[in-house]
Amino acid sequence: CSNYQKLLKSNDVQQKYAAAVKYYEKGDYYRASELLDAVTPLLTGTEQAEDALFYQANANYELGNYLLSETYFRNFYTTYPRSPKAEKAMFMYVKSAYNQSPDFEQDQASTLTAMESVQEFIQRYPESEHVAEANEILENLGRKLDQKAFDSAKLYYKIKYYKAAVVALTNFQREFPSSPFAEEAAYLKVESQYEYAKQSVPSKQEERYYEVVDYYQNFVDQYPESEFTRTAGQIYDNTLAELERIKKEKQNQANS
Amino acid sequence: SQVLNNATQKSPVDYTQPREYRIGGITVSGASFLDPNALISVTGLKVGDEITVPGEDISQAIQKLWAQGIIGDVDVTISRIEGDQIFLDFHLKERPRLSRFTFSGINKSQQEALNDKISLQRGRTVNDATLNSTRTVIKNYFAEKSYLNAKVNMTQRPDSLLPNSVVLDIKIDKGPKVKIGEIDIVGNEAFSDRKLEKQMKKTKEKSLINTFSSSKFQRSEYENDKQLLLDFYNSEGYRDAIIVSDSVYRISDDRLGIRITVDEGRRYYYRNITWKGNYLYDDEYLSKVLGIEKGDVYNRQELDKRLTYNPTGIDVSALYQNDGYLFQSIDPVEVRVEGDSIDLEMRVYEGPQATIKNVVITGNTKTSEHVIRRELRTLPGEKYSRDDLIRTRNELAALGYFDPETIGLQPIPNQADGTVDIHYSVVERPNDQISLSGGWGGPIGAVGTVGLTLNNFSTRKFWDIKEWTPVPSGDGQRLSLNVQANGKYYQSYSMSFTEPWLGGRKPHSLTVSLFKTVYRRPDFLEQESKLDVNGASVSLGRRLQWPDNYFNITHSVSYSRYNLDNYRQLFQDFTDGTSNSISFVNTLSRYSIDNPTYPTRGSQLSLSVNLTPPYSLFKDNAGKYEFIEFNKWMFDASYFINLAGKLVLNTRAHFGFLGKYDSDATIGPFERFKLGGSGLGGGNVFVGTEYIGLRGYDDESVFEGNDPSLLQAGGIAYNKFVMELRQLISPSPAATIYGLAFLEAGNNFGSYDNYSPFKLYRSAGIGARIFMPAFGLLGFDYGWRLDDVPGQPNAKQGMFHFIIGQQLR
Repeated sequence: CSNYQKLLKSNDVQQKYAAAVKYYEKGDYYRASELLDAVTPLLTGTEQAEDALFYQANANYELGNYLLSETYFRNFYTTYPRSPKAEKAMFMYVKSAYNQSPDFEQDQASTLTAMESVQEFIQRYPESEHVAEANEILENLGRKLDQKAFDSAKLYYKIKYYKAAVVALTNFQREFPSSPFAEEAAYLKVESQYEYAKQSVPSKQEERYYEVVDYYQNFVDQYPESEFTRTAGQIYDNTLAELERIKKEKQNQANS
Repeated sequence: SQVLNNATQKSPVDYTQPREYRIGGITVSGASFLDPNALISVTGLKVGDEITVPGEDISQAIQKLWAQGIIGDVDVTISRIEGDQIFLDFHLKERPRLSRFTFSGINKSQQEALNDKISLQRGRTVNDATLNSTRTVIKNYFAEKSYLNAKVNMTQRPDSLLPNSVVLDIKIDKGPKVKIGEIDIVGNEAFSDRKLEKQMKKTKEKSLINTFSSSKFQRSEYENDKQLLLDFYNSEGYRDAIIVSDSVYRISDDRLGIRITVDEGRRYYYRNITWKGNYLYDDEYLSKVLGIEKGDVYNRQELDKRLTYNPTGIDVSALYQNDGYLFQSIDPVEVRVEGDSIDLEMRVYEGPQATIKNVVITGNTKTSEHVIRRELRTLPGEKYSRDDLIRTRNELAALGYFDPETIGLQPIPNQADGTVDIHYSVVERPNDQISLSGGWGGPIGAVGTVGLTLNNFSTRKFWDIKEWTPVPSGDGQRLSLNVQANGKYYQSYSMSFTEPWLGGRKPHSLTVSLFKTVYRRPDFLEQESKLDVNGASVSLGRRLQWPDNYFNITHSVSYSRYNLDNYRQLFQDFTDGTSNSISFVNTLSRYSIDNPTYPTRGSQLSLSVNLTPPYSLFKDNAGKYEFIEFNKWMFDASYFINLAGKLVLNTRAHFGFLGKYDSDATIGPFERFKLGGSGLGGGNVFVGTEYIGLRGYDDESVFEGNDPSLLQAGGIAYNKFVMELRQLISPSPAATIYGLAFLEAGNNFGSYDNYSPFKLYRSAGIGARIFMPAFGLLGFDYGWRLDDVPGQPNAKQGMFHFIIGQQLR
């Protein structure tokens, strides 16, 4: 231990680097990274520079410092694009970015940057053995954005802001047409519009119920065999009944 | 640079005819310390690569070498060409590389500050450009600290440990501090020198009058202050005022002089203001809202403020913007200038109403999106309204999870389809609080406290090990745990949990809390006395839409069970047995404060009624202690008015009354009031005493009349009035600091016979508060007593109070 402290303070670059490699190989990534942080800038242009940068990147990855490992791996594959390790480095860069992407409920800025990096990787190394994993990462990241968009639209339905729900679900349908949640979104739009029409002032109801009919027809056209078909059908029946009632009321008014 | 042609080259490169080659070999010459293979690897070129000469490939290779910052110069030459094979040589000039740098002549904190600022990088070559920029950065740094004559001396010496490396010694001689000795303003007739100098905020003369303000000279601030000077002239109607010339000269080694020559021009006034293009509101109404009349001094700044956005009052655009007219604009055009009079024509474009399309939230790295989204008042499909945006900002600030100063609201209009997207950006701040304290608790000796409050907890993520970083968070729930103990004699445990949106569908909050307290006293006769209190409460809160949507109502029910065992301190004539307290608390409150840490406008009102069932109306006085009864009425009001900038006036009024159901009964020891000092009493937790501060007086010392037993028991009615002037000193989210001056008055009464709301004990004082997210609010006040409390003739006139936590009363 004291040996390590002495090494940290020493100015001997070669000795420090050798020790760093030893710690790295033993799996003591913390000490390896501390030593490498001190020596890598001084090693540039030497034989060891390439390996040193890769070790530094990977040690930080292993420690879970994904922000740092992302930077180091990127430095590696931009500085040594012809290195045999460049492909691996770029893939690790992708994984570093992927690991920084939070749960779908939080801000997705890093999810977007991670997606860009995966696409870049697949484009550059289409033959790589990591392509399958990269595609999987891409899919996971995309699903997060999907889920986030759907959840935030659905929230308005949940907290009974039905008018907002219809607008938000429409936005969702437009932006994520092939989402796995598209079916549920289409159904929720029918229900939200129905609830919205129900709460509306009588003078606006007819128009809004007709929109329910519209949304319902879109829903059954697109998803004829949906798990929501039954409930949607009920809403449709209710809507038709309401429209019938409004029509009668109008006639009565006209007659009187 | 590109491939060079030189004399030894057999087939020179024809720059008009790029050609494709295959690299036959790469050599590096001129490198004695650097590794050739590593350098070739850096170039990104490889033997066998196809390249175009002349072309991009070689330029890029050279750029990559430069980017490493380890070479002095590089030339690329073609050593030979064999058929389509090209052999390249990279000829380098090496330069020593920086291995370390040291500072001398300055202290450690300055070194650290400079380390962050200078661009020297270890491992890179040292060249004139980096040295020059380092020198400039250091000089600027000291110039800002008014060492205008600082000298920087940099010497390089070879590093004995590393080949081809240098150590850079940076020697700094700060020299004397240079201050502004005189400011001379020439050409001013309308305003005095003093009045004008006052407009310059950061550029001040060194003199006895200005002892408290800094008289540093800072170039950027000086430029800024010159603009402030002109702004002042403009705001007084001198719209043509200019600074003809200004000069900064040296008076002595450590004093500067400044001379500013102004040309004031004439003063202008408004004459006729006409409106054009307005259909929604008539001219008269718009003029009234604008509030500028014929004959007023011409002030363009004020005009713009009243047209576009006035943070302290109404403005014309608010009329439009709160009703969806986001695309609205008003262009004031000077149609005629005659002598000193200006005619304005307001060209109004109303445009269509915008509806909200997408609402986007960014920056929530911890808090779940639904926790934020459900609080937003800007709903998709609704008309855009600036008021809704500002209201949302205030409500996000009130959540406490985000830095209130940096909540961003950005409407992004899409004029094409008449919609607007709204982007909210937040910055998370830590808001969990940990308290650890030890203290002397009177007769029972030392007491230790451990408390933990998690303000953004998530029970949903409780079982997910990954979320424990360090605690599962982001769902806006509140969990608070508190343990207080001194071993055998006193133990108190409490826990409370709040879910702000019960079921996630409506903003109905649920709070559940539990507590247990044990209190033992050793007796002289070897007989122990013990009080054991257990309790629980449940409360439900609801937001109201009527009278307006700032109102909240809370209902709660709480139950406490007192087990007495030879315990005399609670009731005089009841020492053994069980006593129950069931009470219902209903609170109606209205909250419209813009920023919970430093409110600048808005108000907080609360009316709370705490009732126990009226047992004595049904039964005789028999079970007097079996079921405790009382009724309590509390009213609190607090208003914040923004006077100027960050100066805020807070006025408060507080009342509390304790009553009984049976006219014959006496009011028990429960829920009484104690007034005086900082209001932080923790004396008798069993009877729910309400501690209310009154600065300038001793803790819990203020009451009306001469009955000393009230000092122990507490009063049954109190009122208190406060006027507090606050000035924000530091808005930083890490530590919000403000200063205050107060006038307050209050009194506490033992019976309704001598209750008189205007008989008050008054005090005045000053103080400061600091808010840090992990500790909450801390502060101290110095209060002067203005009245004598009967029975305490020797009380101090002035005293300090320490304040912990946000106090409502």
